[in-house]
Amino acid sequence: MLEIRNLCKSFGALKAADDVSLTVERGTIHALIGPNGAGKTTLIALLSGYLQPSSGTITFDGQDLLAIPAHLRPHAGLVRSFQVTSVFPEMTVRENVCLVLQSVAGQACSLVRLADADRAEREEAEAALARVGLIDQADALTGNLAHGQKRQVEIAMALAARPKLLLLDEPTAGMGVEESRRIMGLLEDLRDSVTMLLVEHDMDVVFGLADRVSVLVYGKIIASDTPERIRENADVQEAYLGDHELHGEAD
Amino acid sequence: MRYTHHLPFLLACLAALLLLPLVLQATGSSYLISTATRLVVFAIAAVSLDLLIGYTGLVSFGHAAFLGVGAYTVGILSFHAYEDTTLIGLPGTLSGLVAIPLALALSALAALVVGALSLRTRGVYFIMITLSFGQMLFFLFVSLEQYGGDDGMMMFEGRNTLPLLDLNDRVSFYYFCLAWFVLFFWFCTWLVRSKFGRTLAAIKQNQDRLSSIGINAYWAKLQVFVIAGVGAGLAGALSANHTEFVSPALTHWTRSGDLMIVVILGGMGTLVGPVLGTFLFLLLEEFLPLILRGLGLGLLSEHWRFVFGPILILVVLYAKTGLYGLIFPRRD
Repeated sequence: MLEIRNLCKSFGALKAADDVSLTVERGTIHALIGPNGAGKTTLIALLSGYLQPSSGTITFDGQDLLAIPAHLRPHAGLVRSFQVTSVFPEMTVRENVCLVLQSVAGQACSLVRLADADRAEREEAEAALARVGLIDQADALTGNLAHGQKRQVEIAMALAARPKLLLLDEPTAGMGVEESRRIMGLLEDLRDSVTMLLVEHDMDVVFGLADRVSVLVYGKIIASDTPERIRENADVQEAYLGDHELHGEAD
Repeated sequence: MRYTHHLPFLLACLAALLLLPLVLQATGSSYLISTATRLVVFAIAAVSLDLLIGYTGLVSFGHAAFLGVGAYTVGILSFHAYEDTTLIGLPGTLSGLVAIPLALALSALAALVVGALSLRTRGVYFIMITLSFGQMLFFLFVSLEQYGGDDGMMMFEGRNTLPLLDLNDRVSFYYFCLAWFVLFFWFCTWLVRSKFGRTLAAIKQNQDRLSSIGINAYWAKLQVFVIAGVGAGLAGALSANHTEFVSPALTHWTRSGDLMIVVILGGMGTLVGPVLGTFLFLLLEEFLPLILRGLGLGLLSEHWRFVFGPILILVVLYAKTGLYGLIFPRRD
């Protein structure tokens, strides 16, 4: 589904991505972990087109991803959600999702009819909101929501874009336990229809969901394996996880 | 976008504008029809600028340039019709069926070029670059010696001609302008509530997010910039017809500033507000000196802007959504 080969990105002397190679298999949930500043968000930005790499190739669904402009990548099936909540605060929750739907339908600049008059779009938006458990807030102004709820709007927007590959940048960051569990359940349900690349700090989420785990440290992938073997990998333990955390997980 | 509960108010305003010439004639003050025409014409330009400033968050400081393109198109065609000469092999014309569509097309083209370049920047840079383009066009018009240079030129043949409608009759001309105004206003109301309008609101609120949901913000901004440019070009073409005179003063940066003032004064992002702002601004500009003289304040009457400035500041300070906010206070 996604094949990253020898990807490099430098900011001055800092190598945020240092010869990164990574393959995400279709139909899997692939987690990317690593300490703060390891370059995880940079990698997401390179994939979604917010940044251009210094060198390297990315193949997505058989296409050269780097040849596709950022705003066309969602149409190709590559959709991201943001680590720092980034929604449209003065629109209702439903409108946020509708905005994605009109983009998917190629109607972002359409004058044909009034935005509120599209009932099919409205129903589809409500279906996406129901899936993330936010249907009762459909008419609320997004800017007035609690942080965790805005995260749910993010997920609903990402789902509405009908992704083939979903880039999730810390989807459960800042969510309460209950919301976090709901989103994990939702991602589990989506496993068969959507491939996911998941950047996450929460080890419960990573080891609970991922089929494969890659570890990024200082811009380099130091390991890429099944969750069980990552847990046992000595390099990973040293570089990132720390002994106590691992034992805690193993218990 | 949320202000949609004032249809009765709009219909009442429309009725008042429709009846205005009759009232003025009945009260023997038909000379004011010309003032009313001016209000309606500049309201078109203000509404078009509101699409940019109020709805898309694009603070364009060169909007008067497109007034100039519209006005000079009408003026130059009229000039060549009068002189019976040609411009790049084409004859001039007084026909409104040619001059007005051409004015719209050329302002669209000008807005396309200016927009394509300036929309690559944002924030203060966008303000400065639109200002620069505005001034570039101003000096271009000043340099047109053949068309009067900085003095401008009279349209000696009078207003454009149309089948069935005599634009030289001031009541007919008023209704002609009012029809354009209503058409354009309705179009803008539709636009801001369409899916395109939703995209524009998204640009204003969080532009960086758009590419990640598959929307090309640049392309959307370019479209609205051209639409707004056409609106200003229309106002320019009507203004040239109204005064039978075109001059670079129409495109001076202070004109762009006036347009920004009326949008802010009236209430950004409301469409109705900028219309009210235009009316108040132009009426104060015309009558404030007279009122002050009537009050025996002769010195202030000459320096009426001394009073005008503080009024603007007070409105902006105390009415967050401008005049609109005073009339329709938000209930939430």
